[in-house]
Amino acid sequence: MFEKNSKSHVILFALVLSVVCSLLITGAATGLKARQQENMDLDKKANLLRAAGLLDAGQKPGKETINALYDQRIEEVVVDRQGKVIETQEAGSMHLYFVHARDTGQRRDLNNISGYIVPINTRGLWGKIQGYLAFENDGQTVSGFSVFSHSETPGLGGEIESAWFRKNFKGKKILNSQDKFVSIGIAKGKAGDLPKDEQENYVDGISGATLTGRYLSEGIKNTLMKYEGVSVTFRQKQLKTKADDPDHG
Amino acid sequence: MNVKSKSEYQEILVKGVWSQNPVAYQVLGICSALAVTVKMSTAVVMALALTAVTACSSMIISSMRKIIPSNVRIIVELAVISTLVIVTDQILKAYFYDISKQLSIFVGLIITNCIVLGRAEAFALANDPIDSFVDGIANGLGYGLILVLVAFIRELLGSGNFLGFQVIPDALYNLGFQNMGLMVLAPGAFFVIGLLVWLKNSLPGISSQKK
Repeated sequence: MFEKNSKSHVILFALVLSVVCSLLITGAATGLKARQQENMDLDKKANLLRAAGLLDAGQKPGKETINALYDQRIEEVVVDRQGKVIETQEAGSMHLYFVHARDTGQRRDLNNISGYIVPINTRGLWGKIQGYLAFENDGQTVSGFSVFSHSETPGLGGEIESAWFRKNFKGKKILNSQDKFVSIGIAKGKAGDLPKDEQENYVDGISGATLTGRYLSEGIKNTLMKYEGVSVTFRQKQLKTKADDPDHG
Repeated sequence: MNVKSKSEYQEILVKGVWSQNPVAYQVLGICSALAVTVKMSTAVVMALALTAVTACSSMIISSMRKIIPSNVRIIVELAVISTLVIVTDQILKAYFYDISKQLSIFVGLIITNCIVLGRAEAFALANDPIDSFVDGIANGLGYGLILVLVAFIRELLGSGNFLGFQVIPDALYNLGFQNMGLMVLAPGAFFVIGLLVWLKNSLPGISSQKK
Protein backbone atom coordinates (compact mmCIF):
# COMPACT_ATOMS: atom_id res chain seq x y z
CA MET A 1 0.00 0.00 0.00
CA PHE A 2 1.36 3.42 -0.94
CA GLU A 3 1.58 6.34 1.43
CA LYS A 4 -1.64 8.34 0.90
CA ASN A 5 -0.27 11.60 2.23
CA SER A 6 3.21 11.53 0.77
CA LYS A 7 4.16 14.68 -1.11
CA SER A 8 4.67 12.84 -4.38
CA HIS A 9 1.25 11.22 -4.19
CA VAL A 10 -0.50 14.50 -3.35
CA ILE A 11 1.10 16.24 -6.32
CA LEU A 12 0.47 13.36 -8.68
CA PHE A 13 -3.13 13.04 -7.53
CA ALA A 14 -3.78 16.77 -7.88
CA LEU A 15 -2.24 16.77 -11.36
CA VAL A 16 -4.23 13.80 -12.59
CA LEU A 17 -7.45 15.14 -11.12
CA SER A 18 -6.98 18.60 -12.65
CA VAL A 19 -6.19 17.14 -16.06
CA VAL A 20 -9.17 14.78 -15.96
CA CYS A 21 -11.57 17.50 -14.79
CA SER A 22 -10.39 20.04 -17.35
CA LEU A 23 -10.51 17.47 -20.13
CA LEU A 24 -14.07 16.58 -19.20
CA ILE A 25 -15.21 20.19 -19.11
CA THR A 26 -13.36 21.22 -22.25
CA GLY A 27 -14.56 18.12 -24.02
CA ALA A 28 -18.17 18.72 -23.08
CA ALA A 29 -18.01 22.43 -23.89
CA THR A 30 -16.37 22.13 -27.31
CA GLY A 31 -17.87 18.83 -28.38
CA LEU A 32 -21.41 20.00 -27.74
CA LYS A 33 -20.96 23.58 -28.87
CA ALA A 34 -22.60 23.20 -32.28
CA ARG A 35 -25.71 21.63 -30.82
CA GLN A 36 -25.92 24.20 -28.04
CA GLN A 37 -25.55 27.06 -30.51
CA GLU A 38 -28.34 25.62 -32.62
CA ASN A 39 -30.58 25.37 -29.57
CA MET A 40 -29.77 28.92 -28.57
CA ASP A 41 -30.49 30.33 -32.02
CA LEU A 42 -33.79 28.51 -32.07
CA ASP A 43 -34.64 29.80 -28.62
CA LYS A 44 -33.79 33.33 -29.73
CA LYS A 45 -36.13 33.04 -32.70
CA ALA A 46 -38.86 31.57 -30.52
CA ASN A 47 -38.49 34.49 -28.12
CA LEU A 48 -38.66 37.03 -30.93
CA LEU A 49 -41.82 35.38 -32.19
CA ARG A 50 -43.20 35.31 -28.67
CA ALA A 51 -42.48 39.01 -28.17
CA ALA A 52 -44.23 39.75 -31.46
CA GLY A 53 -47.22 37.78 -30.28
CA LEU A 54 -46.88 35.23 -33.08
CA LEU A 55 -46.42 32.36 -30.65
CA ASP A 56 -48.59 31.69 -27.63
CA ALA A 57 -46.88 31.32 -24.30
CA GLY A 58 -48.01 27.75 -23.78
CA GLN A 59 -47.20 26.64 -27.32
CA LYS A 60 -44.16 24.42 -27.83
CA PRO A 61 -43.74 24.23 -31.58
CA GLY A 62 -41.10 22.16 -33.31
CA LYS A 63 -37.93 23.36 -34.92
CA GLU A 64 -39.35 23.56 -38.44
CA THR A 65 -42.38 25.58 -37.40
CA ILE A 66 -40.28 28.15 -35.60
CA ASN A 67 -37.79 28.49 -38.44
CA ALA A 68 -40.51 28.77 -41.06
CA LEU A 69 -42.52 31.31 -39.10
CA TYR A 70 -39.41 33.33 -38.36
CA ASP A 71 -38.32 33.41 -41.99
CA GLN A 72 -41.78 34.50 -43.11
CA ARG A 73 -42.53 37.16 -40.58
CA ILE A 74 -39.38 38.51 -38.98
CA GLU A 75 -36.51 40.34 -40.59
CA GLU A 76 -33.35 41.45 -38.87
CA VAL A 77 -32.07 44.85 -40.01
CA VAL A 78 -29.47 47.39 -39.02
CA VAL A 79 -30.66 50.96 -38.51
CA ASP A 80 -28.97 54.25 -37.71
CA ARG A 81 -29.99 56.60 -34.90
CA GLN A 82 -32.62 58.25 -37.09
CA GLY A 83 -34.30 54.94 -37.73
CA LYS A 84 -33.17 54.62 -41.35
CA VAL A 85 -32.26 51.14 -42.53
CA ILE A 86 -28.61 50.94 -43.51
CA GLU A 87 -26.72 48.19 -45.26
CA THR A 88 -23.49 48.15 -43.33
CA GLN A 89 -22.79 48.22 -39.65
CA GLU A 90 -21.14 51.40 -38.50
CA ALA A 91 -20.56 53.19 -35.25
CA GLY A 92 -23.87 53.95 -33.60
CA SER A 93 -25.86 51.53 -35.76
CA MET A 94 -28.33 49.32 -33.99
CA HIS A 95 -30.03 46.00 -34.53
CA LEU A 96 -33.74 45.95 -35.05
CA TYR A 97 -36.30 43.37 -36.09
CA PHE A 98 -39.21 44.15 -38.37
CA VAL A 99 -42.40 42.17 -37.98
CA HIS A 100 -44.19 41.68 -41.30
CA ALA A 101 -47.94 41.63 -41.36
CA ARG A 102 -47.95 38.82 -43.89
CA ASP A 103 -45.43 36.99 -45.98
CA THR A 104 -45.24 38.80 -49.29
CA GLY A 105 -41.64 37.96 -50.02
CA GLN A 106 -41.17 41.72 -50.20
CA ARG A 107 -38.67 42.88 -47.64
CA ARG A 108 -38.44 46.32 -46.09
CA ASP A 109 -41.75 47.35 -47.55
CA LEU A 110 -42.78 49.75 -44.82
CA ASN A 111 -46.48 49.35 -45.63
CA ASN A 112 -46.30 45.69 -44.76
CA ILE A 113 -44.69 46.13 -41.37
CA SER A 114 -47.01 45.46 -38.48
CA GLY A 115 -44.45 46.23 -35.83
CA TYR A 116 -40.85 46.14 -34.75
CA ILE A 117 -38.84 44.48 -32.03
CA VAL A 118 -36.13 46.15 -30.00
CA PRO A 119 -33.51 43.92 -28.38
CA ILE A 120 -33.06 44.73 -24.70
CA ASN A 121 -29.69 44.06 -23.19
CA THR A 122 -29.21 45.28 -19.65
CA ARG A 123 -27.73 44.41 -16.31
CA GLY A 124 -29.83 42.63 -13.74
CA LEU A 125 -29.14 42.00 -10.10
CA TRP A 126 -26.82 39.02 -10.69
CA GLY A 127 -26.01 39.11 -14.35
CA LYS A 128 -27.09 40.27 -17.76
CA ILE A 129 -30.72 40.29 -18.76
CA GLN A 130 -31.37 39.82 -22.46
CA GLY A 131 -34.82 40.14 -23.90
CA TYR A 132 -37.00 41.60 -26.61
CA LEU A 133 -39.58 44.34 -26.51
CA ALA A 134 -42.00 44.40 -29.42
CA PHE A 135 -43.97 47.42 -30.58
CA GLU A 136 -46.93 47.91 -32.84
CA ASN A 137 -46.39 50.02 -35.94
CA ASP A 138 -47.79 53.11 -34.23
CA GLY A 139 -44.38 53.50 -32.61
CA GLN A 140 -45.66 53.73 -29.07
CA THR A 141 -47.76 50.72 -28.05
CA VAL A 142 -45.93 47.68 -26.68
CA SER A 143 -47.20 44.46 -28.19
CA GLY A 144 -45.10 42.06 -26.18
CA PHE A 145 -42.05 41.31 -24.13
CA SER A 146 -39.91 38.23 -23.74
CA VAL A 147 -36.77 37.32 -21.86
CA PHE A 148 -34.12 35.36 -23.64
CA SER A 149 -31.60 34.87 -20.88
CA HIS A 150 -31.05 36.06 -17.33
CA SER A 151 -29.50 34.90 -14.09
CA GLU A 152 -31.90 36.34 -11.53
CA THR A 153 -32.92 34.39 -8.43
CA PRO A 154 -35.54 31.74 -9.24
CA GLY A 155 -38.89 32.65 -7.75
CA LEU A 156 -37.92 36.30 -7.20
CA GLY A 157 -36.19 38.21 -10.00
CA GLY A 158 -36.46 35.08 -12.11
CA GLU A 159 -40.16 35.84 -12.44
CA ILE A 160 -39.31 38.27 -15.26
CA GLU A 161 -39.52 35.34 -17.64
CA SER A 162 -42.85 34.10 -16.32
CA ALA A 163 -45.96 34.43 -18.44
CA TRP A 164 -47.83 36.79 -16.09
CA PHE A 165 -45.00 39.28 -16.02
CA ARG A 166 -44.50 39.24 -19.78
CA LYS A 167 -48.23 39.60 -20.41
CA ASN A 168 -48.12 42.72 -18.27
CA PHE A 169 -46.42 44.64 -21.05
CA LYS A 170 -49.01 44.14 -23.75
CA GLY A 171 -50.83 47.37 -24.59
CA LYS A 172 -48.64 49.63 -22.46
CA LYS A 173 -47.38 52.86 -23.99
CA ILE A 174 -43.97 54.52 -24.02
CA LEU A 175 -45.56 57.96 -24.39
CA ASN A 176 -47.42 59.70 -21.59
CA SER A 177 -50.75 61.48 -21.95
CA GLN A 178 -48.95 64.58 -23.29
CA ASP A 179 -47.33 62.40 -26.01
CA LYS A 180 -43.91 62.80 -24.43
CA PHE A 181 -41.46 59.90 -24.28
CA VAL A 182 -41.35 58.37 -20.79
CA SER A 183 -40.46 54.72 -21.48
CA ILE A 184 -41.98 51.75 -19.64
CA GLY A 185 -41.21 51.26 -15.99
CA ILE A 186 -41.63 48.36 -13.64
CA ALA A 187 -43.76 49.58 -10.76
CA LYS A 188 -43.04 48.88 -7.13
CA GLY A 189 -46.13 46.87 -6.44
CA LYS A 190 -49.13 46.96 -8.74
CA ALA A 191 -49.36 49.37 -11.66
CA GLY A 192 -53.02 49.82 -10.80
CA ASP A 193 -52.09 51.57 -7.54
CA LEU A 194 -50.37 54.40 -9.43
CA PRO A 195 -52.06 57.65 -10.47
CA LYS A 196 -54.39 57.11 -13.40
CA ASP A 197 -52.30 58.96 -15.99
CA GLU A 198 -49.19 56.91 -15.17
CA GLN A 199 -50.78 53.50 -15.34
CA GLU A 200 -50.22 53.20 -19.06
CA ASN A 201 -46.47 53.60 -18.62
CA TYR A 202 -45.98 51.05 -15.85
CA VAL A 203 -46.27 47.29 -15.49
CA ASP A 204 -46.88 45.35 -12.27
CA GLY A 205 -43.71 44.77 -10.26
CA ILE A 206 -42.47 41.55 -8.70
CA SER A 207 -42.59 41.46 -4.92
CA GLY A 208 -39.21 40.65 -3.44
CA ALA A 209 -37.40 41.69 -6.61
CA THR A 210 -37.28 45.46 -6.38
CA LEU A 211 -33.70 45.71 -7.64
CA THR A 212 -34.25 43.46 -10.65
CA GLY A 213 -37.22 45.64 -11.53
CA ARG A 214 -35.21 48.83 -11.13
CA TYR A 215 -32.35 47.60 -13.32
CA LEU A 216 -34.74 46.34 -15.96
CA SER A 217 -36.61 49.67 -15.97
CA GLU A 218 -33.33 51.54 -16.36
CA GLY A 219 -32.18 49.20 -19.12
CA ILE A 220 -35.42 49.50 -21.05
CA LYS A 221 -35.37 53.28 -20.74
CA ASN A 222 -31.77 53.61 -21.94
CA THR A 223 -32.37 51.25 -24.84
CA LEU A 224 -35.58 52.94 -25.90
CA MET A 225 -33.94 56.33 -25.76
CA LYS A 226 -31.40 55.07 -28.29
CA TYR A 227 -34.20 53.67 -30.45
CA GLU A 228 -36.39 56.75 -30.16
CA GLY A 229 -35.47 57.68 -33.74
CA VAL A 230 -36.99 54.45 -34.96
CA SER A 231 -40.14 54.95 -32.92
CA VAL A 232 -40.50 58.53 -34.14
CA THR A 233 -40.29 57.33 -37.76
CA PHE A 234 -43.13 54.92 -37.10
CA ARG A 235 -45.21 57.55 -35.30
CA GLN A 236 -44.86 60.05 -38.14
CA LYS A 237 -45.75 57.42 -40.69
CA GLN A 238 -48.82 56.55 -38.65
CA LEU A 239 -49.91 60.23 -38.59
CA LYS A 240 -49.38 60.48 -42.31
CA THR A 241 -51.48 57.42 -43.13
CA LYS A 242 -54.22 58.75 -40.90
CA ALA A 243 -54.13 62.11 -42.68
CA ASP A 244 -54.13 60.49 -46.13
CA ASP A 245 -56.98 58.19 -45.35
CA PRO A 246 -59.40 59.73 -42.87
CA ASP A 247 -61.80 56.79 -42.99
CA HIS A 248 -59.13 54.41 -41.88
CA GLY A 249 -58.71 53.67 -38.18
CA MET B 1 -17.61 -4.03 -1.68
CA ASN B 2 -20.08 -5.94 0.45
CA VAL B 3 -23.75 -5.79 -0.31
CA LYS B 4 -25.81 -4.74 2.67
CA SER B 5 -29.18 -6.00 3.71
CA LYS B 6 -32.25 -3.97 2.94
CA SER B 7 -32.71 -2.72 6.47
CA GLU B 8 -29.31 -1.07 6.49
CA TYR B 9 -30.17 1.00 3.44
CA GLN B 10 -33.46 1.81 5.08
CA GLU B 11 -31.57 3.10 8.08
CA ILE B 12 -29.43 5.38 5.89
CA LEU B 13 -32.58 6.64 4.19
CA VAL B 14 -34.42 7.35 7.43
CA LYS B 15 -31.39 9.15 8.83
CA GLY B 16 -31.04 11.37 5.79
CA VAL B 17 -34.69 12.15 5.25
CA TRP B 18 -35.80 12.50 8.82
CA SER B 19 -33.76 11.89 11.96
CA GLN B 20 -30.63 13.64 10.72
CA ASN B 21 -32.32 15.81 8.14
CA PRO B 22 -29.71 18.02 6.44
CA VAL B 23 -31.64 21.25 6.93
CA ALA B 24 -33.43 20.66 10.21
CA TYR B 25 -30.75 18.65 12.03
CA GLN B 26 -27.41 19.35 10.34
CA VAL B 27 -28.44 22.93 9.46
CA LEU B 28 -26.85 22.70 6.00
CA GLY B 29 -28.06 24.21 2.76
CA ILE B 30 -29.94 27.03 4.48
CA CYS B 31 -28.83 29.67 1.98
CA SER B 32 -30.43 27.98 -1.00
CA ALA B 33 -33.45 27.06 1.11
CA LEU B 34 -34.06 30.78 1.50
CA ALA B 35 -33.60 31.60 -2.15
CA VAL B 36 -35.78 29.05 -3.89
CA THR B 37 -38.72 28.57 -1.55
CA VAL B 38 -40.86 31.50 -2.66
CA LYS B 39 -42.70 29.16 -5.00
CA MET B 40 -43.33 25.42 -4.90
CA SER B 41 -42.23 24.80 -8.48
CA THR B 42 -38.71 26.16 -8.04
CA ALA B 43 -38.35 24.31 -4.74
CA VAL B 44 -39.21 20.99 -6.40
CA VAL B 45 -36.80 21.54 -9.28
CA MET B 46 -34.02 22.49 -6.90
CA ALA B 47 -34.67 19.48 -4.66
CA LEU B 48 -34.57 17.03 -7.59
CA ALA B 49 -31.40 18.54 -9.04
CA LEU B 50 -29.67 18.54 -5.69
CA THR B 51 -30.65 14.94 -4.99
CA ALA B 52 -29.13 13.81 -8.28
CA VAL B 53 -25.93 15.78 -7.73
CA THR B 54 -25.42 14.70 -4.12
CA ALA B 55 -25.99 11.05 -4.96
CA CYS B 56 -23.60 11.03 -7.93
CA SER B 57 -20.88 13.12 -6.35
CA SER B 58 -20.95 11.08 -3.15
CA MET B 59 -20.64 7.91 -5.18
CA ILE B 60 -17.69 9.20 -7.22
CA ILE B 61 -15.87 10.57 -4.21
CA SER B 62 -16.49 7.41 -2.24
CA SER B 63 -15.05 5.25 -5.00
CA MET B 64 -11.87 7.34 -4.89
CA ARG B 65 -11.74 7.62 -1.10
CA LYS B 66 -8.81 5.24 -0.73
CA ILE B 67 -6.53 7.32 -2.95
CA ILE B 68 -7.67 10.85 -2.07
CA PRO B 69 -4.87 12.47 -0.01
CA SER B 70 -6.58 13.64 3.16
CA ASN B 71 -4.81 17.00 3.31
CA VAL B 72 -6.22 18.18 -0.02
CA ARG B 73 -9.53 16.36 0.19
CA ILE B 74 -11.81 19.41 0.32
CA ILE B 75 -10.36 20.79 -2.89
CA VAL B 76 -10.67 17.38 -4.51
CA GLU B 77 -14.30 17.15 -3.45
CA LEU B 78 -15.04 20.61 -4.79
CA ALA B 79 -13.33 19.86 -8.10
CA VAL B 80 -15.32 16.65 -8.52
CA ILE B 81 -18.63 18.29 -7.62
CA SER B 82 -18.21 21.33 -9.84
CA THR B 83 -16.97 19.28 -12.79
CA LEU B 84 -19.96 16.99 -12.43
CA VAL B 85 -22.42 19.88 -12.32
CA ILE B 86 -20.86 21.79 -15.20
CA VAL B 87 -20.58 18.76 -17.49
CA THR B 88 -24.19 17.80 -16.74
CA ASP B 89 -25.29 21.34 -17.49
CA GLN B 90 -23.43 21.29 -20.82
CA ILE B 91 -25.06 18.01 -21.80
CA LEU B 92 -28.49 19.30 -20.84
CA LYS B 93 -27.88 22.45 -22.88
CA ALA B 94 -27.17 20.35 -25.94
CA TYR B 95 -29.87 17.70 -25.65
CA PHE B 96 -32.55 18.94 -23.24
CA TYR B 97 -32.52 22.65 -23.79
CA ASP B 98 -35.80 23.40 -22.04
CA ILE B 99 -34.80 21.57 -18.87
CA SER B 100 -31.43 23.24 -18.92
CA LYS B 101 -32.97 26.68 -19.18
CA GLN B 102 -34.99 25.89 -16.08
CA LEU B 103 -31.96 24.54 -14.26
CA SER B 104 -29.16 26.78 -15.40
CA ILE B 105 -29.93 29.45 -12.82
CA PHE B 106 -29.73 26.78 -10.12
CA VAL B 107 -26.30 25.53 -11.17
CA GLY B 108 -24.40 28.03 -9.05
CA LEU B 109 -26.68 27.31 -6.14
CA ILE B 110 -26.03 23.57 -6.42
CA ILE B 111 -22.22 23.73 -6.59
CA THR B 112 -22.04 25.91 -3.52
CA ASN B 113 -24.67 23.99 -1.59
CA CYS B 114 -23.08 22.84 1.65
CA ILE B 115 -25.10 19.62 1.68
CA VAL B 116 -23.20 18.24 -1.32
CA LEU B 117 -19.83 18.99 0.24
CA GLY B 118 -21.05 18.08 3.71
CA ARG B 119 -22.14 14.60 2.69
CA ALA B 120 -18.97 14.00 0.70
CA GLU B 121 -16.94 14.98 3.73
CA ALA B 122 -19.00 13.32 6.44
CA PHE B 123 -20.19 10.17 4.73
CA ALA B 124 -18.65 9.37 1.35
CA LEU B 125 -15.06 9.46 2.60
CA ALA B 126 -15.80 6.72 5.12
CA ASN B 127 -18.30 4.50 3.34
CA ASP B 128 -18.49 2.43 0.17
CA PRO B 129 -19.94 3.86 -3.07
CA ILE B 130 -23.38 2.23 -2.93
CA ASP B 131 -23.97 3.37 0.65
CA SER B 132 -22.81 6.84 -0.32
CA PHE B 133 -25.17 6.89 -3.28
CA VAL B 134 -28.09 5.97 -1.03
CA ASP B 135 -26.96 8.53 1.52
CA GLY B 136 -26.87 11.19 -1.18
CA ILE B 137 -30.42 10.34 -2.26
CA ALA B 138 -31.60 10.31 1.35
CA ASN B 139 -30.11 13.71 2.11
CA GLY B 140 -31.39 15.17 -1.14
CA LEU B 141 -34.87 13.97 -0.29
CA GLY B 142 -34.58 15.25 3.26
CA TYR B 143 -33.58 18.64 1.91
CA GLY B 144 -36.42 18.46 -0.58
CA LEU B 145 -38.92 17.64 2.15
CA ILE B 146 -38.08 20.79 4.11
CA LEU B 147 -37.87 22.87 0.93
CA VAL B 148 -41.31 21.80 -0.24
CA LEU B 149 -42.83 22.36 3.21
CA VAL B 150 -41.31 25.83 3.48
CA ALA B 151 -42.28 26.68 -0.09
CA PHE B 152 -45.83 25.49 0.51
CA ILE B 153 -46.22 27.75 3.52
CA ARG B 154 -44.51 30.71 1.89
CA GLU B 155 -46.40 30.47 -1.39
CA LEU B 156 -49.73 30.01 0.37
CA LEU B 157 -49.33 32.87 2.82
CA GLY B 158 -47.18 35.10 0.65
CA SER B 159 -49.08 34.99 -2.63
CA GLY B 160 -52.17 32.93 -1.87
CA ASN B 161 -51.16 30.34 -4.44
CA PHE B 162 -50.38 26.65 -4.61
CA LEU B 163 -48.10 25.64 -7.50
CA GLY B 164 -49.01 28.89 -9.21
CA PHE B 165 -52.79 28.48 -8.91
CA GLN B 166 -54.76 30.76 -6.67
CA VAL B 167 -56.22 28.77 -3.79
CA ILE B 168 -57.30 31.49 -1.38
CA PRO B 169 -60.77 32.46 -2.64
CA ASP B 170 -61.49 36.02 -3.76
CA ALA B 171 -64.26 36.19 -1.18
CA LEU B 172 -61.66 36.10 1.57
CA TYR B 173 -59.71 38.93 -0.04
CA ASN B 174 -62.92 40.94 -0.26
CA LEU B 175 -63.36 40.46 3.49
CA GLY B 176 -60.04 42.19 3.97
CA PHE B 177 -57.63 39.25 3.91
CA GLN B 178 -54.18 40.28 2.74
CA ASN B 179 -51.17 38.34 1.53
CA MET B 180 -48.30 38.33 3.99
CA GLY B 181 -45.61 40.41 2.30
CA LEU B 182 -43.00 39.13 4.72
CA MET B 183 -43.35 35.62 3.34
CA VAL B 184 -42.01 36.45 -0.12
CA LEU B 185 -38.89 38.01 1.37
CA ALA B 186 -35.94 36.09 2.77
CA PRO B 187 -36.76 36.74 6.45
CA GLY B 188 -40.04 34.88 5.94
CA ALA B 189 -38.05 31.77 5.11
CA PHE B 190 -35.93 32.20 8.23
CA PHE B 191 -39.03 32.25 10.40
CA VAL B 192 -40.62 29.27 8.68
CA ILE B 193 -37.44 27.18 8.77
CA GLY B 194 -36.85 28.09 12.39
CA LEU B 195 -40.38 27.08 13.33
CA LEU B 196 -40.07 23.83 11.39
CA VAL B 197 -36.77 22.94 13.09
CA TRP B 198 -38.30 23.67 16.46
CA LEU B 199 -41.39 21.63 15.62
CA LYS B 200 -39.38 18.68 14.35
CA ASN B 201 -37.02 18.58 17.29
CA SER B 202 -39.82 18.85 19.82
CA LEU B 203 -41.78 15.95 18.36
CA PRO B 204 -41.64 13.05 20.85
CA GLY B 205 -39.17 10.24 20.20
CA ILE B 206 -36.81 12.05 17.90
CA SER B 207 -35.47 14.85 19.98
CA SER B 208 -31.88 15.67 19.25
CA GLN B 209 -30.82 15.10 22.86
CA LYS B 210 -31.46 11.38 22.50
CA LYS B 211 -28.73 10.95 19.90
